[in-house]
Amino acid sequence: MTFDLALTGSDLLLLLPEILLTLWLCLMVCLDFSMRKITHQNLAYLGIGGVLATLVVLIWFDLTGITGTLFKNMFVLDRLAIFFKIFILLATALVMCSSIDSVRTFRFFKGEYYFLVLMSTLGMMFMASAGDLLSVFVTVEFSTFGFYVLVAYLRDDLRSSEAGLKFFILGVFAAGLLAYGISLVYGETGTLIFSDIAGTSGSYGMTIGFLLIFAALGFKIGAVPFHSWIPDTYQGAPTPVTAFLSIAPKGAAIAILIRMFYVALASFKPMWVLLFIAGSILSMTYGNIVAIAQKNIKRLLAYSGIAQIGNVLIGLAAGTKQGSDAILFYLLTYLFANLGAFAVVIGVSHIIKSDEIEDYSGLNRRSPFLAASMLLFLLSLAGVPPLAGFIGKLYLFVAAIDQELYTLLIFGLINIIISMYYYLIVVKKMYINEPLDPSPLTVSIPLKTVVYVGIAGTLLLGIYPKPFIDWAVSATLMFSNIAGPTAAAGSIFGG
Amino acid sequence: MTNGFPWLTLIIFLPLVGAGMIAVAKESLARQIALACSTLVLLLSLPLWALFDPSSAGMQFVERHRWIASPPIYYALGIDGISLPLVLLTTFLTPLCVLVSWTAIEKRVKEFMISLLVMETATIGVFCALDFVLFYIFWETMLIPMYLLIGVWGGPNRIYAAIKFFLYTLAGSILLLVALIVLYFQGGQTFDILALSQASYAKDLQFWLFLAMFAAFAVKVPMFPFHTWLPDAHVEAPTAGSVILASVLLKMGTYGFLRFSLPMLPDASATFTPLMMVLSVIAIIYGAYMALAQEDLKKLIAYSSVSHMGFVTLGIFAMNPQGIEGAILQMINHGITTGALFMCVGIIYERTHSRQIVDNAGLAKPMPRYATFFVIFALSSVGLPGMNSFVGEFFVLVGAFVWDKFVATLAALGVILAAAYILYMVQRVVYGMPGVEPSRKLVDVNWREFGMLVPLVGFVFWIGLYPKPVLDVMHASVDQLLARQGLVMTAEAPRAVQENVIRLSSGTRPFEPAGLESRLDQEP
Repeated sequence: MTFDLALTGSDLLLLLPEILLTLWLCLMVCLDFSMRKITHQNLAYLGIGGVLATLVVLIWFDLTGITGTLFKNMFVLDRLAIFFKIFILLATALVMCSSIDSVRTFRFFKGEYYFLVLMSTLGMMFMASAGDLLSVFVTVEFSTFGFYVLVAYLRDDLRSSEAGLKFFILGVFAAGLLAYGISLVYGETGTLIFSDIAGTSGSYGMTIGFLLIFAALGFKIGAVPFHSWIPDTYQGAPTPVTAFLSIAPKGAAIAILIRMFYVALASFKPMWVLLFIAGSILSMTYGNIVAIAQKNIKRLLAYSGIAQIGNVLIGLAAGTKQGSDAILFYLLTYLFANLGAFAVVIGVSHIIKSDEIEDYSGLNRRSPFLAASMLLFLLSLAGVPPLAGFIGKLYLFVAAIDQELYTLLIFGLINIIISMYYYLIVVKKMYINEPLDPSPLTVSIPLKTVVYVGIAGTLLLGIYPKPFIDWAVSATLMFSNIAGPTAAAGSIFGG
Repeated sequence: MTNGFPWLTLIIFLPLVGAGMIAVAKESLARQIALACSTLVLLLSLPLWALFDPSSAGMQFVERHRWIASPPIYYALGIDGISLPLVLLTTFLTPLCVLVSWTAIEKRVKEFMISLLVMETATIGVFCALDFVLFYIFWETMLIPMYLLIGVWGGPNRIYAAIKFFLYTLAGSILLLVALIVLYFQGGQTFDILALSQASYAKDLQFWLFLAMFAAFAVKVPMFPFHTWLPDAHVEAPTAGSVILASVLLKMGTYGFLRFSLPMLPDASATFTPLMMVLSVIAIIYGAYMALAQEDLKKLIAYSSVSHMGFVTLGIFAMNPQGIEGAILQMINHGITTGALFMCVGIIYERTHSRQIVDNAGLAKPMPRYATFFVIFALSSVGLPGMNSFVGEFFVLVGAFVWDKFVATLAALGVILAAAYILYMVQRVVYGMPGVEPSRKLVDVNWREFGMLVPLVGFVFWIGLYPKPVLDVMHASVDQLLARQGLVMTAEAPRAVQENVIRLSSGTRPFEPAGLESRLDQEP
């Protein structure tokens, strides 16, 4: 494979968002080192400014329809990539905004925190554009390195170090699987590019290779049975990092999954549909059932995140255009509800220094604002109308019924009821129990902003979802001709 | 005649605006704003009654706006003769609920009033929605405020009751969601309730859809054997919560049968009719039997609700004009009578802080006015002629009689049992010997309580003596519903029903309830 690195101006334009963010990163590092007086807070605002500037560029791309590919399909900038880049940048901006309070309590390396966050973001933006297996490997590792450091950021905290270690070991293990899988696929097909793999015929080596790749990406999204690192890592990591980890890498990995299975493996759909049905059922059921027993809100959100990924996999199991639309929209609803919930957790833990659900007792008396917004976010996660999560789940179920995946549907529905139960436990603590310490809680302005954005998103996507659905639909236009109902899957799971 | 004025949107969302105002206003103003807002909604809903054209079977006051392009979901509202009385019942009872909680709710008044108003929005929305997704949204939205009403302001065992209520109803609704999506694909890719009611579905598909919808509606009604959440929820809920629950929420289930199960799934409805009739009769007798044994006033009324709602489902599945009109009338009657009885219990609970019959015995002496009201509503619940429930129950029994004589006879047994448990209760509460503290001072009903009970008494006698206006409103819609049913009535159905249908399709109503006199003539 030879690369022609003579990039023209129009080629560079496709890379503009990444180039802009890279330059911004360098600027931030330089400022942090050279200007002693710059506060971490201003650095955060500067970083958010960079993210927003990149967002503007991407929105401009989306509106004017600037798309293209570079380096022989290694880097793909289509509307799907733009969607996920906007998604990741939105998450990054909200996470940086909600980090400001927590970073103040760090003892060292306050400036580097934002640098690392942005670097991971950069990696994930490349993930969204990965068009062949080599760039999948490079970009996944690129984005994960930032997280290895971020998770263990509280150096003197035993839990944080433990979380970092677990995350690192399993992450490296996943990287090994990924590399091995890629090598198998390359050995069998002689190509790494998704669109070229699509033309090859299947073989055992290729099946094993893709299973390994799926396993590695399963680690990233935290789908059962690759979820084991999630609870401890989520609990031990600084809460803003947990929030970041719970949404952005999942989005980026889902982008790769969609691209890989819809483009490279479209002709093997009857096989991978079964894989996703199994993954979805396992993730939803395991995540929801184990979440019931949790006493720590971060662990609860970790398990609920596993279950939510199970919901997302419903869309992949449908394996249709409708399914991918539903995934994109669902991820948007998840972004607002999940980051909003984490923002509340950050706000509460900042004052009461605890993440135990027990300590949320009587939150409504201490801060009606935080309690009401938490209620809203949890209900949206559970899928109660008229909030965003309901429309998201409705779309996923519509996609599943369209493909006659009734078994999957029944599991999805039962899981809604189970999830409602543990979300209600938190609601009960906040609203019905009396507080141990009735002093009011106050929230800082940046955190409040995040909560407000979360509320606005959760309500808007629920009440007026049309523009967002249209956006998701147009982002996956290229999958319009993906195979219809699968005879093989239908005969097995169609009962 | 509606001039395109968005009446329904106005009355649905005005309570929400009120809730928003309460959220930002001072705690001390919450009651006043809630009362003003709900009264305004009541006043705005009265023109619906005046402008409604009873001769038309179609939807009226229709509003239709595209909401989501694909799949096509509309913001579509409209009411017909079946939903209009229920909308008015809701708007009428909400101000009374605010009044009944005026002093009973002392803590977190703001949140309480917000929950109450959000409930009003959701329930009116359920009765007005013409789009299945919109319907489902309102249907589910109502769960959260009700959960909080029971869970925050309820009795000692409130958490258990609240979560039980929530999970029971949620489990049912989830299956409704499946039915909704399947109907979307089978009914021509639309969520329009009217269009879905016109489409025809395969017989075995109808069978499963009916079961899925049954799960949602039967839990809400509640039909035997899905009633177990009701006594718990009622006992623990605050008075206003009980009133809303009994008077409005339970009607959502029976309304669901009328709006969805019957018109959309006529074949399956016919297949399931015998089962439904049996379950209804069991509910009537079992509920009454349980009520006989209760020592807690609220629990007694809760079980009487199970029995009374059994009459409603009995009437619905009799599938003849008398049965269905009686059922709708009985829905209204049950809302008025049971709501009033729960208010009475709330009034006495505020004074004695007990709902046990033994603690509240012999109220006729210290509280004569209260005793009068209590006896009126109790007798209305029994179905004394001249009062509202008599008319409804009579129609339902006639409808059931046409369907099957034996079923009607068994159901009539429920009326006798009702007389037994209600009179036994009245005997103890009103005329019994005061037990524990004979010396305590009990204040008779005050002006606020007087004001909220008098309109209810008015309705009890109005519907009891002259039900024609209420019945007139529903004739056209019920006929249309039955015409749809008549298309698929098969030879399996009892002969009497077939005859009815034939006569109905030839244009003459088999049984014209002109007024009280003509009705009394036909009483066996």
